[in-house]
Amino acid sequence: MTYKHEVIFCIVNAGFSEAVMECARQAGARGGTVMHASGTANASAEKLFGITVQPEKDVVMILVEKNVRDALLKALYSFVGVKTAAQGIAFALPVDGVAGFAPKPQQSENKASDAKTEPRSEQQAAEQKEEQKEK
Amino acid sequence: MAKRKKQDILAPNKLCLLVTVVPRKKAELILDTLQDFEANLQLEVSSFGTAESFGLLDSDREKQTIFSIIRQDAAPAALLELQRKFDRVRGCKGIAFTIPMTGTVGVSVYRFLSNRE
Repeated sequence: MTYKHEVIFCIVNAGFSEAVMECARQAGARGGTVMHASGTANASAEKLFGITVQPEKDVVMILVEKNVRDALLKALYSFVGVKTAAQGIAFALPVDGVAGFAPKPQQSENKASDAKTEPRSEQQAAEQKEEQKEK
Repeated sequence: MAKRKKQDILAPNKLCLLVTVVPRKKAELILDTLQDFEANLQLEVSSFGTAESFGLLDSDREKQTIFSIIRQDAAPAALLELQRKFDRVRGCKGIAFTIPMTGTVGVSVYRFLSNRE
């Protein structure tokens, strides 16, 4: 079964939620929800891997379209991943139904007419043709 | 002793996790709405929204994230009703989505979550 949307959970140290959202917006996300949580870690695993896990966490939940997922996960790994101060872990879950989620609005008509951009779908291609005919 | 068939182990009604994010003041309304869809377990978490809008007060960013477990066959109707609430109720703009669940542990737990005896 194919899913059009996915939800990404990014767990970072407290105070890094803004960094997560900045990264997410650059990757194409429109917004997210931040929850505060407490993390737990295996003490022996901390010693083995040489990292210290901070207990206070921010959990950022971001709903995205499936084509954005890979870029967003890569960006999160680069900017707020486990090797950074945020010590972030991100994962994606499939979403099979959505309500209240509006697609990202397209760029303004001036920019679309000046720049030759390829249409995303057949419907948009048909709309562009109609606009050109009217002009 | 006869071997249990695979279909004896599979649950008859699949479950899914319904996640709803709404303004904090409207959480009670959404909780009551979802009880009509046999959501026996709901978890509320206080949270903050990050959507870009200028001139937002802090109180506008205060959200409540509601995690509910419902049967998968009730999910489309629940999402439709939530969409109606988002569209028609003032100050109730939100978002909701469902995540399919692949398993639970315990027959009594499953019966409770699916609201089926």
